[in-house]
Amino acid sequence: MALRVGILGVLAIVVFCALFFRLWALQVISGEHYLEDARNNQIRSFGVLAPRGSIVDRDGDVLVSNKPGTLVQIWPAALENVPLGERETMLRRLSRLLGLRVKAIRRKVEERLESDPLTPVTISTDVGELRTAYLMEHQSEFPSVQITETYLRNYEQANIAAQVLGYVGEISAEQLESKEDQGYVAGDRIGQTGIEAVYDSYLRGVRGVGRVYVDALGRVTSEREFSQLPEAGDNIRLTLDADLQRAAEEALAFGVRLAHDQGEWAADGGAIVAMDVDTGELLALASNPTFDPDLYVGTVEARDLKKLADRSENVPTLNRAIAGVYPAGSAFKPITALAALQEGLLRPGEVIQCTGKEVIDGQTFKNWDPYKNEPMILATALANSCDTFFYQVALRFYERKDSPLQRWSRTMGFGQSTGIDLGPEEKGLVPTPNWRRRTFKTEIDRIWTSGDSVQLAIGQGDLLVTPLQMTRAYAMIANGGKLVEPHLVKSVEEPRNEGEPPVVLRPYTPKPPRDIGLDPYALRVVQEALYDATHASYGTSQSIFGGFPIAIAGKTGTAEKYVRLPGYEGVRDQSWWCGYGPYEAPELAVCALIENGGHGGAAAAPVALQVFEKYFNVEPGTYTVTIQQSD
Amino acid sequence: MATPVNRVPQPTRAQAAAWELGAFLRHVDYLLLLATGGLVAYGLWLLDAVTRNDVPGDPDYYVVRQLTYVAVGGLLLALASAVDLDVYRRVRVPLYGLALALLISVFVFAEEVRGSKRWIELGFFNFQPSELGKIVLVVVLAGFVADRRQRLGEWRTTLGVVGIAIPLMVLVFKEPDFGTTLIYGAIVVGALFFGGAPWRHLAVLAVVAGLTATALLWFLPSAGLEVLEPYQRERLIGFVDPDIDPSGSTYNVNQSITAVGSGGLDGRGVANATQTKFNYLPEHSTDFIFSSLSEQRGFLGASILLLLYAVIVWRGIKIVAVARDLYSAIVAGTVVFALLVQLFINVGMTIGIAPVTGIPLPLVSYGGSSLLTTLILIGLLEAIHVRGRLAGAR
Repeated sequence: MALRVGILGVLAIVVFCALFFRLWALQVISGEHYLEDARNNQIRSFGVLAPRGSIVDRDGDVLVSNKPGTLVQIWPAALENVPLGERETMLRRLSRLLGLRVKAIRRKVEERLESDPLTPVTISTDVGELRTAYLMEHQSEFPSVQITETYLRNYEQANIAAQVLGYVGEISAEQLESKEDQGYVAGDRIGQTGIEAVYDSYLRGVRGVGRVYVDALGRVTSEREFSQLPEAGDNIRLTLDADLQRAAEEALAFGVRLAHDQGEWAADGGAIVAMDVDTGELLALASNPTFDPDLYVGTVEARDLKKLADRSENVPTLNRAIAGVYPAGSAFKPITALAALQEGLLRPGEVIQCTGKEVIDGQTFKNWDPYKNEPMILATALANSCDTFFYQVALRFYERKDSPLQRWSRTMGFGQSTGIDLGPEEKGLVPTPNWRRRTFKTEIDRIWTSGDSVQLAIGQGDLLVTPLQMTRAYAMIANGGKLVEPHLVKSVEEPRNEGEPPVVLRPYTPKPPRDIGLDPYALRVVQEALYDATHASYGTSQSIFGGFPIAIAGKTGTAEKYVRLPGYEGVRDQSWWCGYGPYEAPELAVCALIENGGHGGAAAAPVALQVFEKYFNVEPGTYTVTIQQSD
Repeated sequence: MATPVNRVPQPTRAQAAAWELGAFLRHVDYLLLLATGGLVAYGLWLLDAVTRNDVPGDPDYYVVRQLTYVAVGGLLLALASAVDLDVYRRVRVPLYGLALALLISVFVFAEEVRGSKRWIELGFFNFQPSELGKIVLVVVLAGFVADRRQRLGEWRTTLGVVGIAIPLMVLVFKEPDFGTTLIYGAIVVGALFFGGAPWRHLAVLAVVAGLTATALLWFLPSAGLEVLEPYQRERLIGFVDPDIDPSGSTYNVNQSITAVGSGGLDGRGVANATQTKFNYLPEHSTDFIFSSLSEQRGFLGASILLLLYAVIVWRGIKIVAVARDLYSAIVAGTVVFALLVQLFINVGMTIGIAPVTGIPLPLVSYGGSSLLTTLILIGLLEAIHVRGRLAGAR
């Protein structure tokens, strides 16, 4: 017994020695190291979303503002600690509650687990009050789920200017990678398209950053100490006029219906640009079909997004005004005329016979009116939109080896971006002999023929333009030959309370209008011809604008385009009308385009008229309008 | 008529009682009592500081409750030291039956708390039968061994001891309460060891225990049979390699080591002990109280605690030596051994030299059942000491 008691004594000594030595090693020898660890343990930095700036129209009418919303988020790291069975049950309950698919939630969490498990992943935004309350009350049953207040975009004017305004969404992994040095962090909401994207750096404001003491479960145990208080984002004042924008969008919808009524079954969209001729400020930039940007607010359904980019829905997210490319058709003739006058290839008083058709190098080219046969000067030919007149002019261009028409086209802004503060913008195409050589494979295709020149002169063939480019060219004609920089933003403003005068932080300074060196006399000839086109008895949109109390000058266009539609392939007419007014002191240039809308005078011209009606406050029905089929 | 010869006057009842009380008080091990009292008081002081921030609005929540348990425990200690141990020896079969019944009742009545069923709610007090089971197991096994002192070399005796313990151990293990099961194992070993079981029996038992552990941890799980809860297995394996998963199963250990280490020589003080204050340390009022006190009071504070334990263990070993008979010696030795094991496992797990098994630090951790049990065990030691001294004095 004594031996065994002795052994117990020795064991006791060993145990106490082991404990003492280990404690000594931990506390006295490595104490500093663990103290450092402990200090790092407790402080967690946090970010606070800044309220995003509002977007207002030129008069200060709010287009997009913020509304408070609720985010439901999951901490992936915390979720991992939930026992597997419980986790599944919880996710299932959560998905039922929020009306989401379990799979989608799980995928989101798993993705975040791999990239950044300590940042909560947003499962749902814009959760209703009842559901939020339920989650709050049953928080213990939803471990790792947290509810956060957030700001959501509030589209105050229904869905106008959807493509222009764009939408806000959670920053993607790719965006994060390229923008990390600009202070973006995972989970940020960032402008994805439109103004929201281009001006995100102003709109987003400054994220609040601070430190907070937390316990091991991440529960906050102290007051928040800010090292950077959240600063609300700046407001963006657009050049758009909400009323004109709405009128333009309604006009487009009307134009599509009108085209259908006239048998143009394929008419399915269009665009309108309305621009201040002197400054390049865009008062309306409409594209049809459109969508409800509210779809992107809150929980975004993949199904809805798919629709927005679907061809059978005719891609509503595409901003046709800046990214839709079309042949210009006869609306291009003023450009051809200016170039010809400028190059001395045509004198204003020169008479050329306008015929029903023209055979050039063995190929027959028709006039839109096959029964025409009369001598015309340039002004008449423009107003009446005589094709065969311009074929003759085209042959003179063809003779020249330095492609002057293409050069002038580029000078007037075609084939290149306009520099608008919105994207993505299409450049379009001005075909040249060089371009032909570069692009095509077979010898025959690589040769620039007289036919190509003929096509180009009347805005056909390979020429592709955007409605915005066309509007800018017409604004140039209106303002006496100056190319403006189209833009959508007037100024960046400090956010103010309602009723207080705005404080401009930064006005938008476009490049000054550039005089492209046109002969004022040549311009005058074309301006008068455009006036004739809307007022002379032979003008192609005289029946539309002739009775309008404000003098409008402008040109129709009927551009043949080979289109592929669901279940149909073939050539359809793109309906154009471009012009400006008032004629004597031009303010506003407008281009309207109806895709597959038929004749310019039949669809696009009446659409443009509605924009002018709104702009000049003219009551419809107080003057005569007759819709006719004309080129 | 017989002549009364030098008749010793019979003492009155009161005199006898006074004499007995005097003898009792003269033979109490005051050093043990002092160390125990000191430890309890020190523990209360620590608990007060550790739990300041735990119940919002009521910083004294835990201390007030613990004080109640201390008062009751003091009475029980006094009672236990007054009762002759032979009483338990005689009633050990009903005692065993009671313990068994209570442990079974846990599965019927107990509410599940964090995945295990350990407590029976008594309204004023959450009673943990497995703690009471420790006392019962000690006296039952000691009695069983002492009765067979002539047949200690036989396997029947050794296996009998194991056989008695197994039902209780299995019940506790299934609660699940792995830590307490280990303490039961220590009691079995203690009873055999101090009863004088042959070395080879002890060696064989050690091998069997080792094989069982290996099977539970590795072989059976790989064969698809999980006896341990996954968290238990992870913790035990995690003890071997704490960096396997720092946020998962070994999280507690790493936070605990950080807490202990950050205490340094003289501690971070109550206000600055962030590991405790901000809840990085789990269970810091119960199983991990040692980490908290080490963080707050440093090496010096922890040393005071360990020294007080050392005094208790030293006095306990002394008591084994002065025990009046084998039965008392086995009880004393087993109690001391079990206390030592529990101390080592609890303190060891907080500083990374023993697996995390979730048992309280005796006399210090918050919790009534554990405190009462340990105080009763100390009472048993005192009872053995007093009677051993009395026997020696005659």
